[in-house]
Amino acid sequence: MRAWPSVLRPLAMTSAPIIAVSGLQKSFGTLRALDRVSFAVRGGEIFGYLGPNGAGKTTTINILCGLLPREGGQVSIAGRDIAQDPVWVKQRLGVVPDASNLYPELTCRQNLEYLGELYGLTKAGRRTRSEELLTLFHLADKGATPFAALSRGLKRRLTIAAALMHRPEILFLDEPTTGLDVPSAKALRGLIQRLNRTDGVTVFLTTHNLFEAEELCHTVQIIYQGRTLAAGTAEEIRQKVAGHTVLEIAFDKPVSAAWWQEQPLGGTPVVPANGRWRLELGQQDLHGALKTLLTQAEAAGLRLTHLQASGASLEEAFLALLQAQQPTEGRAT
Amino acid sequence: MTFWHQALAISRKDIRSYYGKPPLITWGLMFPGVLLLSVYLKDPGTYLQVSPGVLAMTLLFASTSMSAIVITFEKRAGTFQRLLLAPLHLQTIILGKTLSAAAYGLATTLVLTLGLAVLLGLRLTLPGLFALGLILGAVLFALLGLMAAVVVREVFEAMTLMNFFRFPFLFISGVFMPVAHLPAWLQPLAWVSPLTYIVDLLAYGINGRAYFASPWLPLAVSAAFLLLFAWLAAATFRRRVYA
Repeated sequence: MRAWPSVLRPLAMTSAPIIAVSGLQKSFGTLRALDRVSFAVRGGEIFGYLGPNGAGKTTTINILCGLLPREGGQVSIAGRDIAQDPVWVKQRLGVVPDASNLYPELTCRQNLEYLGELYGLTKAGRRTRSEELLTLFHLADKGATPFAALSRGLKRRLTIAAALMHRPEILFLDEPTTGLDVPSAKALRGLIQRLNRTDGVTVFLTTHNLFEAEELCHTVQIIYQGRTLAAGTAEEIRQKVAGHTVLEIAFDKPVSAAWWQEQPLGGTPVVPANGRWRLELGQQDLHGALKTLLTQAEAAGLRLTHLQASGASLEEAFLALLQAQQPTEGRAT
Repeated sequence: MTFWHQALAISRKDIRSYYGKPPLITWGLMFPGVLLLSVYLKDPGTYLQVSPGVLAMTLLFASTSMSAIVITFEKRAGTFQRLLLAPLHLQTIILGKTLSAAAYGLATTLVLTLGLAVLLGLRLTLPGLFALGLILGAVLFALLGLMAAVVVREVFEAMTLMNFFRFPFLFISGVFMPVAHLPAWLQPLAWVSPLTYIVDLLAYGINGRAYFASPWLPLAVSAAFLLLFAWLAAATFRRRVYA
């Protein structure tokens, strides 16, 4: 892997919040899109803002970036309110919207240099910086290619590069890996981590991909229908649905689904997963289920080759939290 | 850097990206060119009387079309959001977009003027006043197009909306018929059309005389329209763009 040049402004990890939101409110007509949402993002961290479609994620980003006015609450970014000081705050933000939206008719290099000009970089600064970013994002050979001619993955990379043109302190990423193939998404996650770790860029990330959030984010906040459901580290959120245990089992011989159906283990129906069998139990059932399983396996002449018991993943915790809510139709995006 | 440099950067990008778009060529150059040629072929002696009006019409269509096309294209492509995310004052965005549209209107009208001068022997009596009329008209009409574009989503919607005022303007503003020849009940409408004053300034520039006794009145009213449209454009942007 190519070395990561330190081209971004270093920013030390701090405990002070670089984004502080308190009681944020926004409605569209009669629809309450955000209902007193609060959170704080520390400088230098990756903050995951999670929720199903229509939860209010993009509305929140749009308010924080100055694209939408808020109706209530306080928003402080790097110590200032974007409603009062929009130009000063925007100078410190890099934004990657959910759709790659650079100028289709301009080449990759022209796109970067134009945005650099809007952010006040000098001509020499724009040239140097655009070449740095094209190299950094492995797009050096695409400098003269129009943005419209790039593949979806390359468009995404250039969109992120464009957001970094002016060395922002805070990077907003709205669903950055949506629509990307697995290798491109993985490469992008690596890039986000390196931006954060090596260069100290604070990242505000929204995603549907809970594995991605678990892999990348220091802290997460789950919102649903404009309200906060849970906040904390991924581990803290998993503990909110404590009592939920996932068992993964493999035997030395093949067994059928019909055999499993005969076993009085409790929990969810047993399903095949990656060459093993998987079931979910309430934690209070674990002892009895394991005892039954070992007895029945021995009687059938089976030997365990794999047994793994784990708590809920972030995705399972997320789903459990959502299921606990009453469904309501028609939310903002 | 700052205000002017950023506005000029926006204009340069628009010029590079949009000047070759077919609707601009059609509405900006071909339509008025063919119209003037047909007037000339019908009666070579009278084309000078209508040329201030047709040149003003060219300015109107080219400037409004350019600003409307740029804004609607960028809103659809999501690239307009780039400007809103950048550390720019709203006035910088409006100025940048206005400059590129006005420059297009000016360039188109100057090409047509040059064509008239070379092919049909058009001469300017007061070139300074002619230039001032062109500049005022270009900026005014660019702002008008900007306001129309910001309230709709598609290019055709912007064109339709603008045609609601562009075509009536043509009939009441002395483009094809002097304002004095309009029915008395229609004449007050001419006074509220900015095109009337631009036609008058161009008529002064070409013929040395026009409907108003002095060029100061059309100059002052055009300047007042410009200030009004700039204020309205800022208000419309603030209300419609950040909604």
